[in-house]
Amino acid sequence: MLDPSFSLRGVAHSLGAWLSRLMVICVTLLVLPVSTVVGAETENAALAVLEAHCTKCHNPDEKKGELDLTTRETALTGGDSGAALTAEQPAESLLWERIATEEMPPTESLPQAAREVIRAWLDAGASWERTLQAPKPAKKTEEAWYLRPLTAVEPPVKDIPEEWAGHPIDRFIYARLYQQGLEPAPLADRRTLIRRATYDLTGLPPTPEEIEAFVDDPREDEEAYEALLLRLLQSPHYGERWGRHWLDVIRFGESHGYEQNHLRDNAWPFRDYVIRTFNEDKPFDQFVLEQLAGDQIAAGDPDVEVATGFLVAGTHDTVGISNLEGQLQQRANDLDDILSTTAAAFLGLTLNCARCHDHKFDPLSQEDYYRWQSIFAGVRHGSREWAAPDAEQARHSTLRPLRERQEQVEDQLAALQEEGQERVVAQREELLERFTHPAVDPLGTEETFESVTARYVRMTIAATSGGAPVLDEFEVWTTGETPRNVALASSGATVSARATRTDDGDPEFYSAKHLIDGELGEQWISGEGGRGQFTITLAEETQIGRIYWSRDRQGAYRSSVPTEYVIEVSRDGEKWQTIADAEHRRPYTEELLEEALLEAVWTEEEHQRLADLRSAQAEVRQALRAIPPLPTAYVGNFEQPEQPTHLLVRGNPMDEGDVVAPGSLGALAGIVPEFVLDPQSPEGERRLALARWLTHDDNPLAPRVWANRVWHYHFGRGLVATPSDFGENGIPPSHPELLDWLASRVRQLGWRLKPLHLEIMRTRAYRQASTFHEENAARDADAVYLWRFRPRRLTAEEVRDTVLAVSCKLDRSQGGPGFRLYRYTVDNVATYYPIEEFGPETFRRGVYHQAARSVKPDLLGEFDCPDCSLPAPRREMTTSPLQALSMLHGKFVLGQADFVAQRIAEEIPHDIPAQVRRAYVLALGRPAEDHETQAAAQLVQQHGLSALCRALFNLHEFVYVR
Amino acid sequence: MSANSIPSRRRFLADLGFSLPGIALATLLGRERANAAIEPHFPPRARRVLHVFCPGGVSHIDTFEYKPSLEKWHGQPLPGDGNFVSFQGKNGNLMQSPWKFRQRGESGKWISDLLPNLSQHVDDMAFLHGMTSKSNTHGPACVFMNSGFVAEGFPSAGAWVSYALGSANDNLPTYIAIPDVRGIPPAGPANWNAGFLPAEHQAITLNTAEPIRNLARPPQISSDVDQATHAFLRQANAWEAERHPGDRALAARIAAYELAGRMQLSAPEAADLAQESAAVHTLYGTEDANPLLAAYARNCLLARRFLERGVRYITLYCGSRASGVDGLLNWDAHKTLKADYERHGPILDRPTAALITDMRERGLLEDTLVLWTTEFGRMPTHQEGTVGRDHNPDGFTAWLLGAGVKGGVSHGATDEFGRKAVENVTTVYDFYATVLHLLGIDHTRATYYHNGIERRLTDVHGHVIREVLAEA
Repeated sequence: MLDPSFSLRGVAHSLGAWLSRLMVICVTLLVLPVSTVVGAETENAALAVLEAHCTKCHNPDEKKGELDLTTRETALTGGDSGAALTAEQPAESLLWERIATEEMPPTESLPQAAREVIRAWLDAGASWERTLQAPKPAKKTEEAWYLRPLTAVEPPVKDIPEEWAGHPIDRFIYARLYQQGLEPAPLADRRTLIRRATYDLTGLPPTPEEIEAFVDDPREDEEAYEALLLRLLQSPHYGERWGRHWLDVIRFGESHGYEQNHLRDNAWPFRDYVIRTFNEDKPFDQFVLEQLAGDQIAAGDPDVEVATGFLVAGTHDTVGISNLEGQLQQRANDLDDILSTTAAAFLGLTLNCARCHDHKFDPLSQEDYYRWQSIFAGVRHGSREWAAPDAEQARHSTLRPLRERQEQVEDQLAALQEEGQERVVAQREELLERFTHPAVDPLGTEETFESVTARYVRMTIAATSGGAPVLDEFEVWTTGETPRNVALASSGATVSARATRTDDGDPEFYSAKHLIDGELGEQWISGEGGRGQFTITLAEETQIGRIYWSRDRQGAYRSSVPTEYVIEVSRDGEKWQTIADAEHRRPYTEELLEEALLEAVWTEEEHQRLADLRSAQAEVRQALRAIPPLPTAYVGNFEQPEQPTHLLVRGNPMDEGDVVAPGSLGALAGIVPEFVLDPQSPEGERRLALARWLTHDDNPLAPRVWANRVWHYHFGRGLVATPSDFGENGIPPSHPELLDWLASRVRQLGWRLKPLHLEIMRTRAYRQASTFHEENAARDADAVYLWRFRPRRLTAEEVRDTVLAVSCKLDRSQGGPGFRLYRYTVDNVATYYPIEEFGPETFRRGVYHQAARSVKPDLLGEFDCPDCSLPAPRREMTTSPLQALSMLHGKFVLGQADFVAQRIAEEIPHDIPAQVRRAYVLALGRPAEDHETQAAAQLVQQHGLSALCRALFNLHEFVYVR
Repeated sequence: MSANSIPSRRRFLADLGFSLPGIALATLLGRERANAAIEPHFPPRARRVLHVFCPGGVSHIDTFEYKPSLEKWHGQPLPGDGNFVSFQGKNGNLMQSPWKFRQRGESGKWISDLLPNLSQHVDDMAFLHGMTSKSNTHGPACVFMNSGFVAEGFPSAGAWVSYALGSANDNLPTYIAIPDVRGIPPAGPANWNAGFLPAEHQAITLNTAEPIRNLARPPQISSDVDQATHAFLRQANAWEAERHPGDRALAARIAAYELAGRMQLSAPEAADLAQESAAVHTLYGTEDANPLLAAYARNCLLARRFLERGVRYITLYCGSRASGVDGLLNWDAHKTLKADYERHGPILDRPTAALITDMRERGLLEDTLVLWTTEFGRMPTHQEGTVGRDHNPDGFTAWLLGAGVKGGVSHGATDEFGRKAVENVTTVYDFYATVLHLLGIDHTRATYYHNGIERRLTDVHGHVIREVLAEA
């Protein structure tokens, strides 16, 4: 809930805007009742209606449906659907038809009076003298508060009581409380404070020992608290907590998303980089520079180059599309993801809204959008080698002699090949005679042989044209006057394969039974890679003389055809006789044919040399393979674009407009020195220029947005409650002066975050208790003005990490590849199955979970871990029955409850009340009260400690910080 | 608590002329009462939705849209477009359907012999033959058909309905997705995600092979332990409420635990197909010799039982992901149309037809809207070198049936060959504008603020397709 006065202002504001738009038409209409409008007045009124309702889309720039309604001429010319206005019979115009059927305008309903005006005007001949103006974006630069330069703000001094006067932030906060008539809460006690601060800075609960030490600290409150904050800021877990926030903002995920959604197993180095950045307190402006252009400012330094993982942390469609439009669309979507994330993360702007047309509400033009698209036009999704220069050097010096040897051997081989090639040319016709049979045909291959008696027929495949052998039918024909196929299940034949593929849904899909079912379409696929074997048992001994087999008789597939095989028969299943093989068949492809011809022309000595050279080649290749490749990280690749970027009309990749140069946003032109580069400028320079512009001293938006994010995570709500949208559709700041003051502090502190945390957390506003106050709540239920500290629910990762911390099973190891709470299978597309057993490898902190897009297993999904398909500048905090189910029944929680019970039983054998007290302080960070100990001890007595631990995990208090 | 949704919703109510102050307004909005339905914008015709989704791209010209010209011009190049390139590559000549079409019902609608049982319901169906998609790739196109956006991360239609109308029961989920037993559809959970809406609006997934995750009390927790634990939790919550008066979050958590408790009883009861008569089982085909048909039939029966118990939105899938072999696990018949659809057609046909019959007999169609969709259609040509059809996002079929729907009508059409929608072209936006309309929601007024935009299921588009609405 928001404070009413606040939201009513929002309503008044939007109503105002709406009314003013309406006034344009309504005033005219009210003054001129329809029945009396004539001549010029009718024209004025009608054109005002068109101007207000139609030209927003139908103007020379946008031309929706290719229609421009700003002049009579263009209306007569019309658009995709024909002329909008008919000169001879205006009353019959398409314009009227669309309005009358309410098809236009598409998103609003034209008032009856407005329609009557248009009707009257058309009936009167539709005179049209002036050029209509398309409405401009609602906000101009000078009206947008968030674009104004930072102003030096003095914290208020009037009416501030002493305890709120010590800290500039408190003076801002108190002044608004006073103005709103809200009574602030008292200070929180030490026990509350340490739990709040520890979660806030590390995402973990304080240990009972830490709590006691702080509660009993003999120093003054302020001093003890300061020491606590300094300790927490030094914790390596700090970066895990605050790094996770940033990963949310920039949609970091470890799979590609879209349909195939394959995992990215080497994206984690970027996650580690982010955590390290926060732990080292790297200045945020440097962080921006590295993420956009790390390869430009520190080429060769893997610790910095890894930062460009930011650019490609989002989704990427990996499905191959054959048609051009599809390919261009995929590319445009990749770039859209990169540029929108950049604009939202650093500037709080929704530049994505300007992809197809100018932003409807903020001063962002479509050209701005494509300027930025041009900035990122050289960025490609993918992995880059990721190693220090000396590692690269070392690898290179091991590789060099081997590569030289390889070259030598291959040269000799080539010379020999050339010689053989000449001979093949000379003797070609003669050589070809050895192939007495045609090549195998996937549509059907016939084998003829001398009549033989057989009970068993088997085919053994040694090689295929690629992949596991596939056959759809195998026929065995009798000899005699009326030959018939006896390899049919319907004739009593049976079949068995040595191995069959079974991993694709129904295990019967590729069964060998399809070989003898007499039907086309369904196929047998071997389960043995490039090899395979099946045996057909005929109903009885039969005299046979012909076999006909096919890979795909319907002609859809040509791969996986057996190319080396032998077909044998037997009467008893023991002694086998070969009746057909591939030896005298012409090789399946031209390439194989040429190889076979070459083999035939070598002399014995040459054969020997060839064999030696080939084994030398194999050896050196083996040695090369044994040298591990340099590690790679998913941090993108950079390629100079061949073409300059064009504006895409209505965002359609098939409709290119003018060339657009990489450059800064028009809206900030008078505020930050702008940059415009050559459309063909080196792509790296473009990104670097953008990064410098974003962090320029005069850019007011970057520090405002950053300061607000920090505030948002400390208080659960930003001064601007929409941290990635400072525009017209976002929520205006609750404390605009404080926001500017904080943004200025960000700069003064050299963009370092840790001192900023200290400033914020020292305030009385932050140290307040969360005590409920009915009168305050009636006016400001969500404590937007901070009359109390807003209690907050733990995030998904915090819930999980806390369970593990309490059970003492938390694996605190940092960095490296993540763990998975799913089983991953790939079959063209990836499928993720939630795991059922939770081993110690899953006991790491949530930030190390390898998060795949759209996949939110168990606790993480239920406690609102965002889907990393889109940026999540703030997390929802919901309460749902599924949370209850997984906390009450989930194997993970139950297992951990047992661990907590074990731990406590080991620490304190036999003394149930003491065990209960320990359980309370571990799980809730506070001692149990007597009546609680009593109730809990009863539960333990009857049902054991595990039952109590499970119960404590399910307390509201467990998942809330006050 | 959502800091951003309330002002926007207030804004639209204010635009409507409501002017209630503070708290009363919040109550009216029902944002805190996710389990109570809010007042619709106008009287609803439907209260529930059953959405049957066939992933893979069902060929409209082999099922519901008859194109005699394909028979006449079979083997000839598609006029004007030659061997054009589509998703997987080059196209060959026109290819007639392997199935005969014949007229069905009083409406005389031409339907393919592939779906003889569904054909019996044509007089109740309203066909949209002019559907178009923005993507020709399964994943994005499925997500587009379910959420109105090609990109992932946006709420699915069921999540929007859950958000807008809330629950219609007090012991079961609001929105359920029933994936095929063969696996989840292309792009998986993105099809039923809540996107940026609160997580409570995401579908709960289950089918007859996999019950709701973590629903059942695990065996190591005895009933005694469980009861004692719940008693302890009730006591502890009461003390917590005394310590922190006015804590709405605590009240919400207690309510969520209570709902979870009721779901534990109700969901297994709802999923217990043994309660159905032998005649019903036979009607659906739950014991059919084809195990895939039987499995889908059981899911159909499951859907009906949940609908009866007031679940607001159910999406029932017939087909799963795009496997290594095209057309094997879903309707993606690139290479061997006939063999593929002889596998998928019967699975869909009899159980779905039975479900409709059963729902009609039980009166469920009075207030349940049935939707049938797929992500795109298929080409009238055969794919070069194959006897299958490539993706066709330019024209395909969807249909509606049940509450508020005018039966026996066909709206829109593709061209002579089925290549492109040319007559009364419709989009997913129009489709959902119509669905929401039938649910009593003005699609332009059900919005949620996210990253700079008041988001809608229908984005900035959508017209109610009045031609398919029954007279009120």
